[in-house]
Amino acid sequence: MPAESAAANRAGYGADRRAARTVTVVTARRAVRSGAVWGLLFGLLIFNEAVTYHKNFPTTASRESFLRTIGSNAAIITLIGPPRQVDTIGGFVAWRVYFLVMVVGAIWGMLTATRLLRREEEAGRWELLLAGQTTRRAAAVRAMAGLAVGWIALWAVTAALTVAAGSGSRVGFSVSASLYYATASVVGAALFLAVGALTSQLAVTRRQANGLAAVFFALSYLVCLVAGSRGGLGWMRWLSPLGWIENLNPLTGSRPPALAPVLLLIAVLAAAAAWLAGRRDLDEAVLTRRRAASEDTVLLGGAGRLAIRLERWVSLAWAAALVAAAAVFGATSRAAAAGNVAVGSIEQQLGHFGARPVDPLAAWIGYMYVYLAALLAVAAIGQIAALRAEESEGHLENLLARPLGRPVWLLGRLGFALGFVLATGAAVGAAGWLGLAFPPGGPGFAAMLQAGLNATIPAVFVLGLGTLLFATVPRLAVPVLYCLVLWSFLVEIIGSSITGEHWLLDTALLSHLGPVPATGFDWSAAGWLVGVGALAALAGVAAFRRRDLVGS
Amino acid sequence: MAGSAAAVRTSGLSKSFGGTPALLSLDLEVAPGEVLGYLGPNGAGKTTTIRCLLGMIRPTGGRAEIFGVDATAHPAQAHRRLAYVPGEANLWPGLTGGQTLHLLARVQGSADEAYRAELIERFQLDPSKRVRAYSKGNRQKVLLIAALCSRPDLLVLDEPTTGLDPLMEQAFRGCVAEARERGQAVFLSSHILSEVEALSDRVAILRGGELVEVGTLAQLRHLSALSIEAAFDTSPPDLSRIPGVTAVNVQGNRVSCQVVGSVEPLLGVLAASGVHQLLSREPSLEELFLAHYGRDPAAVSGGVDAG
Repeated sequence: MPAESAAANRAGYGADRRAARTVTVVTARRAVRSGAVWGLLFGLLIFNEAVTYHKNFPTTASRESFLRTIGSNAAIITLIGPPRQVDTIGGFVAWRVYFLVMVVGAIWGMLTATRLLRREEEAGRWELLLAGQTTRRAAAVRAMAGLAVGWIALWAVTAALTVAAGSGSRVGFSVSASLYYATASVVGAALFLAVGALTSQLAVTRRQANGLAAVFFALSYLVCLVAGSRGGLGWMRWLSPLGWIENLNPLTGSRPPALAPVLLLIAVLAAAAAWLAGRRDLDEAVLTRRRAASEDTVLLGGAGRLAIRLERWVSLAWAAALVAAAAVFGATSRAAAAGNVAVGSIEQQLGHFGARPVDPLAAWIGYMYVYLAALLAVAAIGQIAALRAEESEGHLENLLARPLGRPVWLLGRLGFALGFVLATGAAVGAAGWLGLAFPPGGPGFAAMLQAGLNATIPAVFVLGLGTLLFATVPRLAVPVLYCLVLWSFLVEIIGSSITGEHWLLDTALLSHLGPVPATGFDWSAAGWLVGVGALAALAGVAAFRRRDLVGS
Repeated sequence: MAGSAAAVRTSGLSKSFGGTPALLSLDLEVAPGEVLGYLGPNGAGKTTTIRCLLGMIRPTGGRAEIFGVDATAHPAQAHRRLAYVPGEANLWPGLTGGQTLHLLARVQGSADEAYRAELIERFQLDPSKRVRAYSKGNRQKVLLIAALCSRPDLLVLDEPTTGLDPLMEQAFRGCVAEARERGQAVFLSSHILSEVEALSDRVAILRGGELVEVGTLAQLRHLSALSIEAAFDTSPPDLSRIPGVTAVNVQGNRVSCQVVGSVEPLLGVLAASGVHQLLSREPSLEELFLAHYGRDPAAVSGGVDAG
């Protein structure tokens, strides 16, 4: 009997372990996928900056000129941190890419954690996992282990490409320096995975969890901005977790001990998340909404108005972020343009649109607005993802079972998305002009408005193509669009390294975008992109009438 | 035109998913003011039928009409006279029950607000809560109220009482009975046989995507076996050779059997054999249903998982 009991205990223990492992595997599988993609992007970014350094700054004079400009520019130092040894390839790569990768990685961490924790709970899938032989706390710990596996994938791909870039004869980073740089670059992602895990326990919806994490991010970033604004305030970086990461100084006097507080904070946040997961009920949160639900019926008068109601906050957040970025680009562009940053890339782009004498300030703005165009295209993908979510979550069935035609619903949603894209583009142009306005000079309001509207063209194309994909291959629509924009972005950032391969540039959406205001508005390219997008949208509306509704 | 047309008419309606047939040449009609119970096990094709009727999926063959309007070609027009309650209530979690009812009424184009208030009372729904906070049954109530208060000419109900407690199920039955009295047609797909038996004028039974039986309960019972139990003073006679008699079971002086068709030959034999007690009973809907599926257990488990 005791032997049977022991065997039963062993079997039960084995089942417990298998159940627990399932949570880790399910979470890791999804985290690894996006971690590897973003790792590839970060790695290529670092690779590109490292291998094109000598092309962009061929002489000592050009490096010294760049250093003089940057060293005296408070706006740039405030925005992306103080440059260190920027006349060396290590310093340049660290300064150009480190902050960007840290910020984007942090956003990835935040969104991934809330998606795989709070969103899973909202969708009811977490309940299924908890019904197995596990507890709420153990499942949360296992899910966080899955997130950690995703982060390892992000780090591994970033590190592999950084080591590959560093091993080049003209770059010359040691393997340990490359690994440290990659680790420091993406440790922010790990930190914000932990932040997202904690806010997923605090908030009852993913949207709220993202909001809380974003507030933490914004406060950390703000402290960094203040610390970078004046020389005497540098000590304030120690008050911000993002500041701690800045202080790691990879490739420019590495400080590995500065990792300690970051790792400690990650451990504390993860432990707090696990503790709270064990204390709260399923589908509840620590900060459960107390106020009574509103009874307003604003924007509930029909399907079109419902689209505005459902998407307004996310769309406004995108618009605000892009407008803020445009204002900052505007405010810092004079100094950046004077420093001839990435002049090779700009010249290459301008060459693509026909070389002509160009105002460096206008060229720089045009160059930066191409990046805003990429972000606006990502926001447009979000609109297509929202369409698909309405269908896959079964909400659309409630509308289409009533006297509402599919084309009316789809055109209403597209109308909102198009309005959002165009309004954001115009606001981005106006914000850039405001940023440039003091001191006066540089491109005027009309030119900047044109630049903003020019930045909407890829997004309009994405909306059109997205509609067609949604109507024909609904489950693949969003992944295909992300691949398209990611590919375009990658070609854009390595475009300056590509010579004589115009066919490759032509496969990228952003390569067809004239860098307005450096060039005039390219009516021909814009007409083609918008025209093809419009035709795709019309074909999509027609195809959507004929296809079956498809669940998740 | 539409006024005299059938509420629902399908002719040769078929649907395949990737070459797997889910619905095979369905011919069915629901008259205005009629309640049709639509039965079948999981995967028999009930939900597929409804989704074809609503234009959510395109049939691979045949035609579906709602009050004479082609439901595939003109779904929005067809939907003007119907309201639909799905088996799974997927609502917008951020809206309250009241906001959801308001939205659905606006998209529907009409709602009897007084009746809606009455239904909210009858179903004991708190409309001020967010959908996120509702139980499954309460979410289902929102959709039931939204459908009923629009007072459509046709109610298409797919497992409408999923998640409702017995009291609320009674309230639902009352509402459907009232709808029928007002002349509304009801297409009721359900697994709850007692519900179908209590509400339906006619019953259609689907099996493996094919309609195997349709008629009133009386017609189905007439076509089906009658259960007979008899007690004798002495050993019972051999009943197995009598035409139409099956499932003969003898236990001492008692015998039970099933009779299909005329009972006259059986009664003759029983009368001549000294029967002193005779019981006969019509089959329940459950027995009729099981009789159709009991022959092939595989059919009950469902060959096509398309509802």
